Amino acid sequence: MILATPTERTANTPRGKSPLEGVEPFLVELDRFQGPLDLLLHLIRAQDIDIFDIPIAHITRQFQTAIAEGLDDMPLERAGEFLEMAASLVRIKAQLLLPRPEKLDWEEDPRAELVRRLLEYEHFQDVVHVLERAEAQRGRHFGKGYVPDRPAPEGMRPELAVDLADFLEAASRIPEPPPPVRVRAPTKSVTVAEKVSLVRRLFEKAKRIAFERLFEPWGTRAHATAAFLAALELARQQVLRIEQSKPFAPIWLFAGGWIAATRGSGEGPDHGADGSGDANRAGDIEP
Amino acid sequence: MKPEQIVEATLFASQTPLTTSEIARADDELSTAAVSDAIQALREAYEAEERAFQIYELGDGFQILTRPEFASYLERFDSVARSPYLSGAALETLAIVAYRQPIGRIEIEEVRGVGASSVLRTLTDWELVEVVGRGEGLGRPLLYGTTRRFLEHFGLRDLDELPSPEELPVVLAGLEEDASDAEPDAAEAPTEAGA
Repeated sequence: MILATPTERTANTPRGKSPLEGVEPFLVELDRFQGPLDLLLHLIRAQDIDIFDIPIAHITRQFQTAIAEGLDDMPLERAGEFLEMAASLVRIKAQLLLPRPEKLDWEEDPRAELVRRLLEYEHFQDVVHVLERAEAQRGRHFGKGYVPDRPAPEGMRPELAVDLADFLEAASRIPEPPPPVRVRAPTKSVTVAEKVSLVRRLFEKAKRIAFERLFEPWGTRAHATAAFLAALELARQQVLRIEQSKPFAPIWLFAGGWIAATRGSGEGPDHGADGSGDANRAGDIEP
Repeated sequence: MKPEQIVEATLFASQTPLTTSEIARADDELSTAAVSDAIQALREAYEAEERAFQIYELGDGFQILTRPEFASYLERFDSVARSPYLSGAALETLAIVAYRQPIGRIEIEEVRGVGASSVLRTLTDWELVEVVGRGEGLGRPLLYGTTRRFLEHFGLRDLDELPSPEELPVVLAGLEEDASDAEPDAAEAPTEAGA
């Protein structure tokens, strides 16, 4: 018989022992009680009151004190249940005050119905203890499937309807990796001097140079910057002159500086030869 | 194959209690009586061999479960969803239904002094109670009764295992005595089959 066996579960409260035992019966937490009958039964049992001779005035006062605190925080329906009991208690109290014959049959006692309900409720509380015990005992037995399956990694939960052939087929669709791109890191940056000598070499073949030719084939900003500085430097040295017909139009470099252009040709190249020593060293350009 | 082996294999593979007729489906030549005999033989064998499990009778079915003395080891795996312990309101309602069934919601509420519709819905969802009929009164109210699952949850073979109102004080006295005992090992919570 399952009920006659002990258990390690001690959480349930045996009859007559309330979680509030030893505490002033007024100071009750309503949350712990299933309802008004539970609270009333607790007040009666905790004070060892004879349930067949309940001091209604006393108990009513305690009941009202107990619910006064918690009533505001309660859901309406639950509050109503407590208030209904409070009203019943007051009604019984009033009925007891009415004049009555000396000897009263128990059936006529206004408290009889309440006592019947309390005893019935208490009976089912006893059954609850029996069920709690049975439940705890049952909880000590374990069936197949209790110990958890080895957990699957996250993301693996969906069913895998895949066989090896599917896998290999999918693998074959992955494109060959492209050949590694060879990146040549420039070992040194271009210098202004290199651009200056480039300009000089070009002027040996032509009288004018499109500015873009000085950097476009390399396509880097460093070449453009160096070419620009070289052009400015050579213009300063009167080796060449820079012409642009209108904003954003192509820029042309003409052999011979402005001075040479106005005085006549011939001097420019000499100047250029003089200045080349300076311009051959990068960073030597005056701001 | 010996009947015991067939019965053992069937019980071993099941996660829920099986009735003798369910087990008998495993083999054409297996009768329910033979299944009962086999269960009894297996139980004695497990007992003699000190197996960690036993065949228990839950509701009208049988299931292999571990013995209670291994609970402390198995509880270390308690990350698993188990049927939780029931709340006080649920237990109260179940107690009333178990003893007064078939019973309607209004009658349950009269005993408890509080509303019971939401707890009845929960218990119905958990299949611990079910609608077993309709009452005669106004609106033909639904009547509730306990289920096979109720018996399984509390480790009961049948409702007769619950103490009668007359027995209740004796049983409760026993419980309080037990509660003072530290060692819970002799427990055989679900009714041992054939016991």
